[in-house]
Amino acid sequence: MVEIGRISVLLSFMVSVYVLAASLYGAKARRRDFIKSAEHGAIAVFVLLLIAAGALLYLLVNLDFSLKYVALNTSTDLAFIYRITSLWAGQAGSLLLWSLILSLYTALVVIQGRNKNRELMPYVTATLSVVLIFFIYIIGFVESPFEKLPFTPTEGNGLNPILQNGYMAIHPLTLYLGYVGVTVPFAFAMGALLSGRLGDEWIRLSRKWALIAWTFLAVGLLLGARWAYLELGWGGYWAWDPVENAAFMPWLVATAFIHSVMIQEKKGMLKKWNIILIILTFFLAIFGTFVTRSGIISSVHSFAQSDIGPLFLGFIAFILLFSFAIFIYRSKELESENQFDSILSRESAFIFNNLLFLGAAFAVFLGTIFPIVSEAVVGHKILVGSPYFNAVNVPIALVLIFLMGVGPVISWRKASRENLVKNFMSPVILSVLTAVVLVVFGIRDVTALLSYALCMFVTATVFTEFIKGVRVRSKRGENPLLAFTRLVSKNKRRYGGYIVHLGVVLIVIGVTSSSVFVTEKLVTLTEGEAATVRDYTLTYKGLEQYTTDAKDATAAELSVFKGHKDLGVMVPEKNIYKYEGNREINQETEVALRSSFTDDLYIILSNVGTDGTATFRVIINPMVSWIWAGGIVLLLGAIVTMWPSGRKKREEVFIRYSLGEKDIAAKA
Amino acid sequence: MLKGKLKFIVAIAVIALTVSYLVYAGVKDTMVYYLTVEELKDQVPSVYDDRVRVSGIVVPGTIIQNAGEPLMFTLTEGGETVDITYEGIVPDIFRDDIEAVVEGVYTRDNIFVADTLLAKCPTKYESTDSLYEEASGEGYRYNEDKPY
Repeated sequence: MVEIGRISVLLSFMVSVYVLAASLYGAKARRRDFIKSAEHGAIAVFVLLLIAAGALLYLLVNLDFSLKYVALNTSTDLAFIYRITSLWAGQAGSLLLWSLILSLYTALVVIQGRNKNRELMPYVTATLSVVLIFFIYIIGFVESPFEKLPFTPTEGNGLNPILQNGYMAIHPLTLYLGYVGVTVPFAFAMGALLSGRLGDEWIRLSRKWALIAWTFLAVGLLLGARWAYLELGWGGYWAWDPVENAAFMPWLVATAFIHSVMIQEKKGMLKKWNIILIILTFFLAIFGTFVTRSGIISSVHSFAQSDIGPLFLGFIAFILLFSFAIFIYRSKELESENQFDSILSRESAFIFNNLLFLGAAFAVFLGTIFPIVSEAVVGHKILVGSPYFNAVNVPIALVLIFLMGVGPVISWRKASRENLVKNFMSPVILSVLTAVVLVVFGIRDVTALLSYALCMFVTATVFTEFIKGVRVRSKRGENPLLAFTRLVSKNKRRYGGYIVHLGVVLIVIGVTSSSVFVTEKLVTLTEGEAATVRDYTLTYKGLEQYTTDAKDATAAELSVFKGHKDLGVMVPEKNIYKYEGNREINQETEVALRSSFTDDLYIILSNVGTDGTATFRVIINPMVSWIWAGGIVLLLGAIVTMWPSGRKKREEVFIRYSLGEKDIAAKA
Repeated sequence: MLKGKLKFIVAIAVIALTVSYLVYAGVKDTMVYYLTVEELKDQVPSVYDDRVRVSGIVVPGTIIQNAGEPLMFTLTEGGETVDITYEGIVPDIFRDDIEAVVEGVYTRDNIFVADTLLAKCPTKYESTDSLYEEASGEGYRYNEDKPY
């Protein structure tokens, strides 16, 4: 098995090099046979890496400790499911997974485009294979997952207990699908620059890929937040940790990108801008992998430290230099077909949206690398923590929410007074009303008030859009339900996008509530004693100690009442993992959590005294569940936008129509 | 037309300036120096009452946790030590001999009052050292019969 794995990786490296050479030669010499052969090669790379990953999985499941990777990441007492997930628990395995996903995407791109876009495709394949070559080089020659130990230990190091969690099993996978997915639109952009086909072709072809990557990044971020919330036991879900930021930055720029491509599709503007955005997104995705994997910035999430850092830096430098060089070379051919007419228009709302997303990404980037930069420049490591990130990002986020309400309904080119009044009158009134009602109910925090009011503004505009659409269709005699389904299914991108916006609104409400109105209290109780936190009453019932195969658990029982309502017993635990092996992290706090629509009761057993007391940290986090609910809505909306339509023709008609419009504009 | 363009440039400039200002103000208000224990001691007394972040190794046997009282421990690095008090959530992996990072204020009575405590995950999950230690001991091989 080890040999099969190693040979597959080496073969996939050679085939990738061939794919690069053959597609470039094929494109230059206009040899279709070479291009075809390169495309078959790309599929072969995927099959080879699949075999390699299968071999590693087999070795992990069967606990072959003679393999370094297996010995480092598993142990005999590790459950079956976590033997599988340890494929991406360590460095080499993660990078193998990265390569596998990228080769899968490459194969799909090749199959999808096999008879189309013949001028563009060879360069797309070539770009994807360059990235593949880099990653396969690492797993083949630098950090091989198939490296053997000179002896066979009896027991492995085991998997860190905080990684033994269902969310941790899928969160990295989701995030990788996102990180890697960004490579595809980047490859299309490079394909456009290299082949000189600089029209909307690359945008049209990569649009769905950009959405897929964006969605995986968003869902991956939320899953990571949920994991941190359940497992890290500090009561929060987001800490502006470098590794969190690493995934957040490409998401921010990708968000800007999926918005600004609409302007290029509809108006033929922002062509250069879109190329810059996708280059930046890809750069940040690689940078994110680099931060996560190299341990260059200390983080609670970085489980690996290694020497692949310089390789990554070299690759990042190469990507930036090459893509910007070719961009400058082609930039004359990327002229806008239209001009901005008015500051009160959808185009400018999108521009501001883009600037703000980029500004946020820049601020997060700066904050993340600040320790390194400051050490290099002034000789001291200077940190900026959560307060910095909040201070910068909260105002930006508020303006972005405002634009999220404005963008979809303001008219193109130039908004007239009637357009503004007609579309924004009721949303504005509703949001002002919301703020007033909240003030009456005693909320005085300005940020929270603004945030809620703006969320209402967005919700109102989105609902107005839906109602308007349904009404138009109902007038033609459709019943409202049918009208609604047809409305959405005929304009999936538009209405799916609105649903995503609603998901974001829910997330913003959850984040605002749980960060502004959190209650935290440290209580020390003797048996039978009760404590009150807000409207919850907790009575300490006593300790229970039990032992399972894996751990010695100390569980404190608390009976919980909310007002007079009995919520039953909650049991926060402090566990000591049993090891004969050589693992060091053996303590784990198991949080007791009761989640509801209005708030989460989050109890941490922080200390058990020798005198029979127990100390609890009790946190009441309002509306955290809205964040997860928003995530589900966001995912649903994203699926709607990406749902394949059976009507290819309709789309083509639409494209021709918009081209016609541009022609007219150009003549005028 | 020109007026429209000017408006645009002004709007973009306003956004760029605002973001830059937010970054500038954010950095200025929230930045903290990241020092080792040795550097902290070197900067006495000017470091007193400044917010700083300090990293060091937890001295074995110095962790004291009494119910209802702050956690106390000592960090060491480069031959210097500093006493820490901390109130808040203690990370699971915090214990003797681990690398810990605290953020807070070094007071004039030479106690570091921390409100943030981070413990660095030991890198042993990616290290083969312990495996080698074991190999030099007993000779039992786990998967010996597997023909690779």
